[in-house]
Amino acid sequence: MNFAELIERLTENTQNSLPLFSPELCLVVTIVALLFVRLLGIDRHLPGSIVAIIGTVAGLALAALQWRDFHADDTVTSVPLFTGLLVYDPFTVFFRVFLLLFLLFVEYLTMISGIPDQEDAPDFYVLLLGSTLGMSLMVSANHLLMVFLAVEMTSVPSYAMVGFLKGRRLSSEASLKYVVYGAGAAGVMLYGISLLAGLLGTAHLPAMGAALVEFGRQHSSFGDPAVRTLAFGILMVLVGVAFKLSAFPFHFWCPDAFEGAPAEVGGFLSVASKGAAFALLVRFCLALVGKTAGDSPLSHLYLNVGVGLGVMAAVTTTFGNLAAYTQKNIKRLMAYSTIAHAGYMLMAVAAMMVILNAPAGDGTLVTARTASAVSCIQGLLYYLVVYFFMNLSVFAIVALVRNQTYSEEIADYAGLVKQSPLLAVCLLVSMFSLVGMPPMGGFVGKFMVFYGVLEAAQLHPVMWVVFVVGLLNTAFSLFYYLRVLRNVFISPLPEGARPVDVPLASDGGRYILFLTLPVLVLGIFVDPISGVARDVATWLFRG
Amino acid sequence: MPSDATQLGQTLSTLLTIAWLLPLAGFAIEIFGGFWGTRQSKAAAYIAVACIGTAFLCSVGALLYWGDQTDWAALQPHHGSGHGEAGQAEGDARAAAEHAAAHPSHAGEEVDVADHAQPVSGAGIPAGAWEHNLANAPEHAAPKSFSGTFYVLAGFGSLRVAIDWYIDSLTLVMFTMVTLVASLIHLFAIGYMSDELTDDHEDHQVQTAHGHLHRPGRFSRFFAFLSLFSFSMLGLVLAGNVFMVFVFWELVGVCSYFLIGFYVERKSASNAANKAFIMNRVGDFGFLIGLMILWTYFGTFQFANRVEDGVVMPGLFDMLRDGDGNMHLSDSGATVLLDDGSDAAAGIHEAPTIPYFLLVAAGLGIFAGCVGKSAQFPLQTWLPDAMEGPTPVSALVHSATMVAAGVYLTGRFYPMFTPEVLLTIAYIGCITLFLAATIAVVATDIKRVLAYSTISQLGYMMLGLGVGGWGAGLFHLITHAFFKSLMFLASGSVIYGCHHVQEMPRMGGLWRKMPITAFTMLVGVIAIAGLAIPGISIFGEKIAFSGYHSKDAIVATAMTFADLNRTHFLLFYAPLIGAGITSFYMFRLWFLTFAGKPRDQHVYDHAHESPRVMTVPLIVLSMFAAFVAVGGEEGKLFLLLTNSEPAGVANGLVASSPSNLALPSHEAVHARHALAGTFALVVAALGALVACVFYGLRLVNPAEVQRQFASLHTFLIEKWWFDELYDMMFVRPVHVVAKWCSACDKYVFDGILHGLAKGTVLVAHWDRMFDEQIVDGLVNWVGRVTYGTGSLLRLLQTGRLRQYVMFIVVGVVGIWVIVQIFAS
Repeated sequence: MNFAELIERLTENTQNSLPLFSPELCLVVTIVALLFVRLLGIDRHLPGSIVAIIGTVAGLALAALQWRDFHADDTVTSVPLFTGLLVYDPFTVFFRVFLLLFLLFVEYLTMISGIPDQEDAPDFYVLLLGSTLGMSLMVSANHLLMVFLAVEMTSVPSYAMVGFLKGRRLSSEASLKYVVYGAGAAGVMLYGISLLAGLLGTAHLPAMGAALVEFGRQHSSFGDPAVRTLAFGILMVLVGVAFKLSAFPFHFWCPDAFEGAPAEVGGFLSVASKGAAFALLVRFCLALVGKTAGDSPLSHLYLNVGVGLGVMAAVTTTFGNLAAYTQKNIKRLMAYSTIAHAGYMLMAVAAMMVILNAPAGDGTLVTARTASAVSCIQGLLYYLVVYFFMNLSVFAIVALVRNQTYSEEIADYAGLVKQSPLLAVCLLVSMFSLVGMPPMGGFVGKFMVFYGVLEAAQLHPVMWVVFVVGLLNTAFSLFYYLRVLRNVFISPLPEGARPVDVPLASDGGRYILFLTLPVLVLGIFVDPISGVARDVATWLFRG
Repeated sequence: MPSDATQLGQTLSTLLTIAWLLPLAGFAIEIFGGFWGTRQSKAAAYIAVACIGTAFLCSVGALLYWGDQTDWAALQPHHGSGHGEAGQAEGDARAAAEHAAAHPSHAGEEVDVADHAQPVSGAGIPAGAWEHNLANAPEHAAPKSFSGTFYVLAGFGSLRVAIDWYIDSLTLVMFTMVTLVASLIHLFAIGYMSDELTDDHEDHQVQTAHGHLHRPGRFSRFFAFLSLFSFSMLGLVLAGNVFMVFVFWELVGVCSYFLIGFYVERKSASNAANKAFIMNRVGDFGFLIGLMILWTYFGTFQFANRVEDGVVMPGLFDMLRDGDGNMHLSDSGATVLLDDGSDAAAGIHEAPTIPYFLLVAAGLGIFAGCVGKSAQFPLQTWLPDAMEGPTPVSALVHSATMVAAGVYLTGRFYPMFTPEVLLTIAYIGCITLFLAATIAVVATDIKRVLAYSTISQLGYMMLGLGVGGWGAGLFHLITHAFFKSLMFLASGSVIYGCHHVQEMPRMGGLWRKMPITAFTMLVGVIAIAGLAIPGISIFGEKIAFSGYHSKDAIVATAMTFADLNRTHFLLFYAPLIGAGITSFYMFRLWFLTFAGKPRDQHVYDHAHESPRVMTVPLIVLSMFAAFVAVGGEEGKLFLLLTNSEPAGVANGLVASSPSNLALPSHEAVHARHALAGTFALVVAALGALVACVFYGLRLVNPAEVQRQFASLHTFLIEKWWFDELYDMMFVRPVHVVAKWCSACDKYVFDGILHGLAKGTVLVAHWDRMFDEQIVDGLVNWVGRVTYGTGSLLRLLQTGRLRQYVMFIVVGVVGIWVIVQIFAS
């Protein structure tokens, strides 16, 4: 192959990839446009938020249109983009739509709450869009190098966003902590990546899968130093992901960062960044295991990874829920709640790993195993969709209340129901959903995840522990959410409280209602979204 | 015509769905009536009537359309039908002729069965190939039932929760009956509830510190609940799977709770509502157990088969029974083989089975639910108390909705019942009908007499179903709905006219004041008593009201059953005697209320006939009560109903292991029909005569008879001491146990709980301390170590940042160590 041929092939590949990459390109164009808006001073006439929203809607439309690319009878299961650095499949499309829709909601929230002032708006939205772009790459990454780049691309703008309220010392401090912690985690992850690439001779995820099978044939016992090194590499990559998930014991940045950051940013980080990290985790795990159950020579290692993730999930949930008890600041409380929910969702991934890799001695059919694994991912996706609405709803309420009372202390929520019944009721619905009470969507999400864990529990005893801990935690979590709700509904309105006036007929009121209704709808009309989630999950295991 | 059949099913489901959802829409609007309108506005009532009325039109439309599309195949007369609708009869005859020509053998058998004079060689012998099986049905026949799915709520694994519909002629008839009766009751209620049309309603039965209770009127609320009630009942009838049945079952229960406790300030009303709800919960407990057993072994909730991706997923009925309605037992007889649609013979996997005793348990469980809802022994005590609700509610509860639900479900679930369960049903029905009838004899509150008569009649229905008369039981359900709603509304009219006097001893001679009420009531009384004029017939029809035909059918079936199973002779004598008692107490009611001299001049002087909005429903209902069952078991209504009779019922059952019970075939029943009818008629006439002697002509003073049988009288007045018995057996022990429990709770569990709570808080504190002290302390320690070496970084020191970063390392190393320990 001569140089010209190489160039030609590259050109062709790029040309084929670009249309499928259009939503991201749209974000890139918007970012450039925002920079120009700032540079040329147009932002005095055309607010940055409008530009950002237009760009996001366009990207969302492009992403949504890509649904049509996939049909159940297709033989092609995924398309590699840019010579295999990224991958394009329904999973990618699902998360792109998820992220861009979420971005849109956050942008609208920032417009209502006015957290970046006119002056800073273009800067803020450049950061927000840049971070989303990184997440979008995270969910489609197909190469360890892309994994690292995407994680960094997501993180760097988030650091700046956390410290966006420049005047506040707490904010700057949070940002700095986040930066340094993130850098540490990134370092560990990079080391892990280099170990894996060095051992296997490739960093391309599908190629890695093939190389691992070969590797497993030569070195299978855990005593083998090569396997230990492999395990260490996997561990360190997972540490990088765990940092993004804020899973114990890599969660330390989370409460500080959330307390320091504006609520809008907190909402963004808690849902979008977590969703992207879960997509990445699923992709990475499946790259290790391959797409069919139990046929890898390294199954015992992966089984341990699964069990380890399960234990980590259980500890994370317990830690998050217990630590939330004594919090006085609602954003800090929600930070711990975020940690706990990351734990619930991590259980689904752990269950999937256990189901795929448990010894097949009990004669369970491979197809049945795969079906169970599909239902785990289905549960994860459904949980994420519900989490999108219920968590953003709480953060949005926090932002709106803060705009009027200038406080984020839980004590200052006393008697909110008398001032703004709408916010109080929506907070109630969202928080009950976070607890996982029927008929809210959170119940269905938890149900589906626990259903997966229960199936895994029949294959590995430790998952029973995870299951029971998960159930117990649902009860634990009730207390601290109820503490907030007790303040809102039962405590008397203190005299001289600052008024909170968010009627239904205001932008904020409508926005909150619009966010909260899906929480109920998702709890009652389960099938549409769970059907989509099932299709997406099934596709992931095809071929 | 599969495509036509699908088309027909779709049309029917659309019509019935509209009929079903309209009351819900009405409810949604009416419930806000108090906010949007004034308390004086009747708008809510008009909306409710419009909704249920339109629903009625839709139901009738569906029934007619179905009949038209199937050429009224269900109505093919067994011999010439002689009444009204000449054109229709002619069409029927033509269809029958065509049918006979095309399938001579088939039609011949039908005639066989219909022929009264045909001698029957032996009971319980299968009557040949009575074709009920869809697969073997003649080509041109439309399927007997239609089913489909509105919406799949959720599917997790193999659990599928959906909103399905199931339509057959039973559904159509029930829809028409429920919507018609409900419409008339709605209409009646406009008049009856008019005293709620005020901002300041005075409730004379509630005393407060400042005299009678004053509250805003609740006209809109009443109609909202009435609409919701109708919606729930229609949903129950339309339901295509057991899960959905259960949901609407509970909704019906909740609605009855709301309506019985409508006068919530009255202690008695709120108690009655509680009692109704709790008694029903007892039954529902059994229902749930049955549901779980079915789900565990059958793996589906569906009634009908469902086709998914070209694969037929059999519903409950087809899994248990084959096309001829037979169950397949294993050789030992201990398990029942189920057909899950896959070809078990092909050896793909073993066909599922269910242990026989669990099938019995499931049947008993489901029936326990029906016992609660239909107020059967031993859960009958709630129904008389339910009289605390406004009278239109009583009428609705007693005829078309609540109590009908239990009988309907027993009928719908019929294929799932084993002979043992059917025998239980029969005995429960038998006990109930006798017990309630005796209590009704001494009751003096006009509504209570009717309440006990309802319980008694429900017992008849259950008995009919239990002894194998599927058609007979449901036939009585429909006719009873009409005459019982008629009588309740008439009693409501009396109560309204007498200004809320309900005691019959204070009435008398009222027919002069309210003639329409009196004579419509008389129609109902004759209907329920089952009187007929023997020997004379007009147009080939007996002169008899609806109750005669349906009760006759039940008695005949019971008689045949008792003949087949000699040990269960009581199942025949009880309903026969019951028929006499029924006749007695119903005529007693009529005579006491309407005939004779006024016993309370004050009440009499102020009594007046009700307004037209109340009397018109009475007249309409009396028409139905009189003529709905014309033709008896060859009449249109009965044929319509039995069109959806489960396969195999017509053939009866030959006694075999493990139940050793025989069920009568249609032929056998027909052979005894005339005899049973005569018996029943004689007994009923006797009852009426005695009532006439006691209360009409006053030849004997009832008070003296009461004195002579004082202890029996008290026994009956006290309702067989059931309330006291339950109080002693359940309530008081529960109180005692509750006291123990509360003490235990207070001193033991609270202690533990408080301890736990403290413990949790403590753990949380520890957790925090762990986070702040140990984790931070550890890191601080590491930090202090680094502190010495990195004093230059002092300027960047922000407190705990470095500790965090150090903890990444600590975390990685920690996990690695743990992995090492576990892996090796």
